[in-house]
Amino acid sequence: MRNYCNNTSVNSVERACKPMPRVIVIGLASCFGCQLQITNRERYLTDVLGQIDLRYWRMTSSEPLPESYDVAVIEGAVTTQESVDLVKDVRAHAKAVITIGACANTAGIPGIAADNFDERVSQVYQDLPAAAGHVISPRSVPDVIDVDFQVLCCPIEFDRFVEVLGEALYESNRVKPTRTLCGDCKRNERTCLYNQGKICLGMVTSAGCGARCPSLGRECNGCAGISPDANLDSARSIVERYGLSVDEFDRKLEMFNQTNDVLHPQDENQEA
Amino acid sequence: MTQCTIDVDHIARVEGHGNVHVVVEGGQVKDVEMNIVEPIRLFESMVRGRSYRDVSYIASRVCGICSASHVVTDLKAIERIFGVELSQRTKMLRELLIYGSYLQNHGAHLFVFAAPDYLGETSIFPVSKSNPELFSQALDLKSLGNELCTMVGGRSIHPITAVIGGFTHEISSQEYLDLADKLESKVPFALETVDLFNGFDICDVASDNDYMALTQPGAYPVQASDTLTFVGSDESFDANDITDHISEYQVGHSAAFFARRTSTDRPYMTGALARINASWENLTPKAKVAAAKAGLRPPERNPLRNNVAQAVEIVDALERCAELCRELAEGDQKESLPRPFKVCAGSATGVTEAPRGTVAHQLVLDDKGVVQHASIITPTAQNLAAMESDIRKMATSLVAQGVTEDELVMDVEKMVRAYDPCLSCSVH
Repeated sequence: MRNYCNNTSVNSVERACKPMPRVIVIGLASCFGCQLQITNRERYLTDVLGQIDLRYWRMTSSEPLPESYDVAVIEGAVTTQESVDLVKDVRAHAKAVITIGACANTAGIPGIAADNFDERVSQVYQDLPAAAGHVISPRSVPDVIDVDFQVLCCPIEFDRFVEVLGEALYESNRVKPTRTLCGDCKRNERTCLYNQGKICLGMVTSAGCGARCPSLGRECNGCAGISPDANLDSARSIVERYGLSVDEFDRKLEMFNQTNDVLHPQDENQEA
Repeated sequence: MTQCTIDVDHIARVEGHGNVHVVVEGGQVKDVEMNIVEPIRLFESMVRGRSYRDVSYIASRVCGICSASHVVTDLKAIERIFGVELSQRTKMLRELLIYGSYLQNHGAHLFVFAAPDYLGETSIFPVSKSNPELFSQALDLKSLGNELCTMVGGRSIHPITAVIGGFTHEISSQEYLDLADKLESKVPFALETVDLFNGFDICDVASDNDYMALTQPGAYPVQASDTLTFVGSDESFDANDITDHISEYQVGHSAAFFARRTSTDRPYMTGALARINASWENLTPKAKVAAAKAGLRPPERNPLRNNVAQAVEIVDALERCAELCRELAEGDQKESLPRPFKVCAGSATGVTEAPRGTVAHQLVLDDKGVVQHASIITPTAQNLAAMESDIRKMATSLVAQGVTEDELVMDVEKMVRAYDPCLSCSVH
């Protein structure tokens, strides 16, 4: 077995001589913000890096992609055939796959383009340059491969990343919470933004951010994705009760959930 | 070396995916291509048909590190259409937000991306052992940028609080005063950073390209102005007329558009060096002294000096932001509450100086405020043609000096990184 502590890796923080989990970080179609969020907690970054053998992180190092590794962290949506092949290859090599951020987990903002994709390409490019690769309608990573761990939100929070990375490294089988954000916001004792006539998506969006946006006076835009516990019809009736537009609520939900089948029940029926 | 083909696939330590391709034949540089392979995301199409309310939130996601700039640029375009007059306090908060991203960006670019080239490392991490003091101070500086963005915008990237006509939240007066102290305390390290980058050996390159930046009499504007200036000819125009003055065009080898100045058909550079060439006189006192000491004076034509220009801008940003924080601690927070506005049809261009250069958003709204057309012109899309032309010029001189292929690769990569390209912005 290879001795990983003689490290040629990008992370050379001193550690005791035992094999550390080999981690790679890959970026697909995204704003790179989630990778930045990892670097944005400078004081703790070296502590985290000290516990892993970081083998590949193109944003911070010129070391090439290795042939074997334990944990793969994927940021970004799948928008090309080349990316489909890459994530499948990563799945075949990695013991655990972590998807970080809205783009990877729900196709996020790039996923908006999945509605009428071909027409959108011609709205921006006269001729699609060869450098763009073989483009496909945007997909989330879990739509292409099985994913073991997820860090939700746009952008991710560093603390959640560290927590989930720990779970992946030590093979946690903890059940993931599925509650919606609305309850967390209530616990923050905030006045409901519906009283100000704002359409907030907290009723149907996965919790985990601590209701950061509503706490700062901004409605939830749903970046964590629709919660498995969400009751969309009930939420729509509440929107109506406040005299607000259900169409606008649905339109707003598309922002981070365009490729989520629960928003397109008719398409599903047609397929069935 | 008279014959070689250089292919750097996936240039490391830049934000996004790009390759650079250089062909040398018979001692001549035949070809230079910046091959941008960042996945296309189609932002201009995504916002079409959506409400003005969603636009800045979506546009923010063009780029994590430039997110504050994309948000403010978009808000400016919408406010120009609706005729929203901002309070002085809102303008100051926006200034702080953008400067927060300057500290984040310049700190990350200089230390995480650029410095390893000159310190003989593949990444910044070994520096934590070889020079712990530098490593720790550099991270502290970047961290202060995150803190500033978080305090003003609600988190370190993708700001939450900046909306049309104002801010939804502000920190307390005491927090502003504490921030001011922290900002001032980093000035000495920022001055050392100017010296550090000024001390690195760089190739002597004199670019033929023009420079473009936001300008305002007596100011060093990052968002307060709507006037753009081509520095070479001192020609100024309103942001609404930007497409009369610059042309974006497609090339087969890049998923990002390229740009040129329409009247001269020549590439131009935007970014820290362009801003300093345009507004050197209006740097803060300490920043101006630091620039003068480093020999950085307009016209500075070596793009590799963009690193020093960014270091000078850190000094400038720290001084400016400390002053802004002290003023904000005194004022009335009600002044920044979002101002009411009336939705109407129209078109306008918002423009700001993002850390990497000028960013413009053109929007056309119908009478319900629904986006009919959008165009986003990013700093790096504007810089790619200039980057290719400067690499060609530098490579021609290096090949004539007989450098090895490895040395040429290294210098080409240094040039790409000096431009601080944001490839995820450039393909949006």
